[in-house]
Amino acid sequence: MKLLVCIKQILDPEIPVRDFSIDREKLEADSANANQVTNIFCENALETALQLRDSVGESSITVICFGRESAEDSLRKALAMKADEACLVMNDLNHTPDSATTAHVLASAIESLGSFDLIFTGRESGDWGNGQTGAYLAEELKVPYLPFVDDIKQTDKGFEVRRQTESGWERYGIPASSVVTITNSDHNLPRIPKTRDIMMSHRKTITRVSFEDLKIRKDELNPQSDSVRPVKLFVPEKESACEFIEGENLNAKIDQLADKIMEIRSTL
Amino acid sequence: MNPSDATREVLWNISNSWIMYALLLPTLLIAGNGILLRIKRWKKGRPVDRLDRPLERLQNVWRHAVLQRRTMRNRYAGIFHAFIFWGFITLTLATTVVFLHHDFGWQIMQGRFYLYFQSLFVDLLGLLALIGVGMAAWRRAFLQPRFLVQSSEATWILVLAFIILGTGFLLEGWRIAATDDPWGNWSPVGSLIATFSIHWMSVETMQFFHWGVWWFHLLLVFGFIAWAPYTKMLHPLTATLNIYAANLKPIGASLKTIDFESEESFGINRLDHFTWKDLMDLDACTECGRCTAVCPAATAGKSLSPRDIILDLREKSRISNKRETTFSDPIIGTAPSLSTESLWQCTSCAACVESCPVSIEQFPKIIDMRRFQVMEEAVFPEPMQQALASIESRGHPFSGSRFSRLDWTEGLNIPEIKDRPDAEVLVWTGCGGSLVERNQKSSRALTKILDRAGISYAILGREEKCTGDPARRMGNEFLFQELAKQNIQTFEKYKVKTVVTSCAHCFNTFRNEYPEQGGQFEVFHHSEYLKRLLDQGKLPMKSSSDRKITLHDPCYLSRHNHMTEDARSLLQQTSSQPLIELERNRQNSFCCGGGGGLSFTEEPSEQRVNRQRADEILKTDVDTVAVACPFCTTMLEDGINACKGSRDIKVKELSELILESLETEE
Amino acid sequence: MSETSGNGSDILCVLSSNEWDRSAEGLVGAGRLLSDKTGGKLIAVTLGEWQDSALKQLGARCHQVRVGQTQVSVSGGIESMLDYLVKLAEEIQPASILFGNGTVEEEISPRLAFRLGGSSIGDAQALTISNNRIQVTRSVYGGKATAVMELQKSPAVVWIRSRAFPPAGPLPQSGSFETTVIQETSPESIELLQHHEDASEGVSLEEATMIVSGGRGLGGPEPFEDLKALAATIGAEMAASRAACDAGWVPHSWQVGQTGKKVTPELYLAVAMSGSSQHMMGITDARNIAAVNTDPDAPIFKHCRFGIVEDYRNVIGPLTEKLKSRKK
Repeated sequence: MKLLVCIKQILDPEIPVRDFSIDREKLEADSANANQVTNIFCENALETALQLRDSVGESSITVICFGRESAEDSLRKALAMKADEACLVMNDLNHTPDSATTAHVLASAIESLGSFDLIFTGRESGDWGNGQTGAYLAEELKVPYLPFVDDIKQTDKGFEVRRQTESGWERYGIPASSVVTITNSDHNLPRIPKTRDIMMSHRKTITRVSFEDLKIRKDELNPQSDSVRPVKLFVPEKESACEFIEGENLNAKIDQLADKIMEIRSTL
Repeated sequence: MNPSDATREVLWNISNSWIMYALLLPTLLIAGNGILLRIKRWKKGRPVDRLDRPLERLQNVWRHAVLQRRTMRNRYAGIFHAFIFWGFITLTLATTVVFLHHDFGWQIMQGRFYLYFQSLFVDLLGLLALIGVGMAAWRRAFLQPRFLVQSSEATWILVLAFIILGTGFLLEGWRIAATDDPWGNWSPVGSLIATFSIHWMSVETMQFFHWGVWWFHLLLVFGFIAWAPYTKMLHPLTATLNIYAANLKPIGASLKTIDFESEESFGINRLDHFTWKDLMDLDACTECGRCTAVCPAATAGKSLSPRDIILDLREKSRISNKRETTFSDPIIGTAPSLSTESLWQCTSCAACVESCPVSIEQFPKIIDMRRFQVMEEAVFPEPMQQALASIESRGHPFSGSRFSRLDWTEGLNIPEIKDRPDAEVLVWTGCGGSLVERNQKSSRALTKILDRAGISYAILGREEKCTGDPARRMGNEFLFQELAKQNIQTFEKYKVKTVVTSCAHCFNTFRNEYPEQGGQFEVFHHSEYLKRLLDQGKLPMKSSSDRKITLHDPCYLSRHNHMTEDARSLLQQTSSQPLIELERNRQNSFCCGGGGGLSFTEEPSEQRVNRQRADEILKTDVDTVAVACPFCTTMLEDGINACKGSRDIKVKELSELILESLETEE
Repeated sequence: MSETSGNGSDILCVLSSNEWDRSAEGLVGAGRLLSDKTGGKLIAVTLGEWQDSALKQLGARCHQVRVGQTQVSVSGGIESMLDYLVKLAEEIQPASILFGNGTVEEEISPRLAFRLGGSSIGDAQALTISNNRIQVTRSVYGGKATAVMELQKSPAVVWIRSRAFPPAGPLPQSGSFETTVIQETSPESIELLQHHEDASEGVSLEEATMIVSGGRGLGGPEPFEDLKALAATIGAEMAASRAACDAGWVPHSWQVGQTGKKVTPELYLAVAMSGSSQHMMGITDARNIAAVNTDPDAPIFKHCRFGIVEDYRNVIGPLTEKLKSRKK
């Protein structure tokens, strides 16, 4: 069985407020003072794929990333987690393309890599948080699509998956070659790689794919050609006007807290 | 009666003494086999250089084996142990004298030497040994300290020792009485027994009993000699060897460095991956339990017990001895003490190592086993995973911290080294000092002091990365070495020569662990550095406060580096009141609970180490607890706040207290 | 098509929840916001079974209502629904197609946009039209920044935080109704096997007016029982931070935040949670936020109307008792 996991490298979502700033020209976060990390949902996706491989055996996992040079770190980490192959689709554009373009590039790259029994993406990324790449990818590849998946089993017909819904979950049967987006659950926290695997990951080759390789014309990719582009990006002002409840003792403080809660409740 | 003629008849009343010599041979063979078995076990360990610097090693043997200094730290046990130890050593010497006198024909057992040493001294030391055995028995039967191991082996040893000593005195007494020994009074205990015996025994009866008891005594002694190498009673030998082979470096430098290029397995999960010293440690253990009694995890009621780790490993090595292959069997998880749960409770405070009278290194073995879990199996507690993952991707262990490395400098004019490349010293703030809000105050205080002292300093700011201390103690040696490499590169980039840090952990790692990674720079803990400034007259102290201060010694200074006095000297300048010492101070300080990666975990409150220390502090009447490490600061503040009730007591970092006492600038 | 809106362009609102609730009101409100600007019609598209009374409310506020009657459940018949919407959009040629917030809406929007050659984005907190193009304001970078995104290809398919938009009043003239039966056009490649609802009493989290929420600081599933007792006392719903859900202490359907639910209660009581920017993204539209936390500098307090700096263990029990007695 061949599994493909699409991962994305993003600005560390835990970046302290002080280190977060905006590149006004590119209209994206300035990466000078920030770490780049693998998007957590992509790690959940990889973990889900690894668990599927663990349960069925005899499978290979390819990890693909459309990103900058630095994304090699994310791919190496995926290899350390025991993905079999890694492919970096080099983004040497001056801007970060939107979800539709990203999916288009990924789809071309995936077609060049061959066919896969299941394609994984994270449900959304911790930077722009669009949550659309998986859907666009399925449309590009013209394959079935199911988002918010947190559990996958192999069946005779394809796969049985669990999808999270607003109020619970649903189980679906999906055919092979579908695209699923993975969401977090208590059993797909990314595994910790073994040290030897980390060391080995540095000896593995990462396949590099350029726009030329995919016959995509770079000059046609620019913010104006994207379907969505940022026109403004700013750090919102937050005013703090919290009233800290003070009191002689804890009991008095809790009394006041109860009063305030009842006050709001009475307006309902 | 001429004292120079004084002597006694050897083998009085004993015929067929050749039987004794005939019995000696199998006795020595059995004992020798026991000793050889142990040496064979040690040789299965890996090489480590512990035979260098013989003079220092002999000095250690003199201090700790002969003079029993570390054993004496525990008053009651130390006294009875010394009584028994010196008693038996003296008796053995006396027997050797008899042997040389009788069988080698060296006529030494006579005259004044016979009277002063062979009679009086030996008699008294024998009495002390008997008293010692009594005290030991009393402790086992009635005092029963919390972490004492009750074993039938230990009971038998005491019973045997008592009978051997007792029968020895009886034999002496009866011989004096029956031969009417003119020098009998030189053996006070013997002559006392002689006096009593004469009253109700005829000379014939005494002779008869003497004969019987003599053979009985002999059989017991020989039996004991044959049996001892198979029990903890070999420790007079193994402990001495172990003390000789002790780690001569500071405890803070006792973790092994892994060569990732050549090593096949990272960390330890089998006996033969330990060093021969590690394996000798197992046989040196006397089961005294001091390590567990001082272990903060154990006293907090957790399952960790350093002593049990040693004993369980020893048990495995003994079983392994019978079947050659089992030195390679997995050890983690095979006994309660070796459970992953226990191994992850260690704060790496090294109280176990410091307390051990026979130089066993317990906590480095725990780290060895953690390494295996982290690097080979990648299975370990989740909070630790988070901390390590955070170090890996962000260079600090405080997953979820909302602070940047520069937030604490807000509003102060603190230069970064890239803007002040000629700075005299680099102030290493550390993750704890910059990313934890409480410690930002202390970090600011330190820079203000340096400003007042006119020191040209700079910080690394965003280029600082975790030193690797928590990574190393959580078993990720690989990550530690990566971080060390990166930090050393940064230091080289800025040609850093002198580093000052207020974090005891960073300090220890820089001083004891970076040199091996290629770090060539001088490092000071801020207590050390500020003491120098004080001595140089650069810290203008004004009239001091009347705070009642006590000092909580950080493990990574006091035990790992035996640095305890600088902070005290500085604190004495900050208050008119004398410094109050905690019950457990200096090398015997008690951990705050924050080392070894434990500060990143949430523990049930009743098991928190910091509460124990807080309780100890609250027993004194201090109003200020001085600390000298960011981890201690937050751990103790949490502990004190949880336990103090309405009492007004503050946890203050050394820098904060000094800053308060500095003269304000004109 | 390069311009997404212009004079007279119509706006489609796709309502997949089958009641006239605050969410539907907001979605229609947002639609009217746009149709007022384009001068085109606001056309509501309903999916699922709608009550007449609810349809009447809808008709009063839209120029046209397209009632899509479907036999298949919404989540089980995505392909047919997409086909229906594509056909509808090709017929109407709207400038924009608006959806409310929900996992199905999130799933459909980009796929519909792809099939229509349009553009799509989600989680819109505000909508404007500039240079004849629709612009969407949304939180990005885990709540650390706000972006205005321009949708450059028409139609603009957008799912919005419907409760964040003001309801629209009735039009002078009620809209017309047209009913279509949604046929199963494409074979469904995906088969629904089992549907499970997490146990919950009362209303959905999104509709809740009072919410009690717990975070990582609770340290385990047990303290949530105390929070439940508190919530029951004041009739509040339960929620949690991602950390608490990921730890398996409570079901994921409780999760509020960037990747959880976006809630709009009158009171959001946050217990033992620091208030990461990702979590705050789920409660930006809460009217009042209150917090119980030991750390006075926890970011949650920056968003609070009131708060108490205290260990939750000392607060929750007594607070529940006091609230009980006040209710009497």
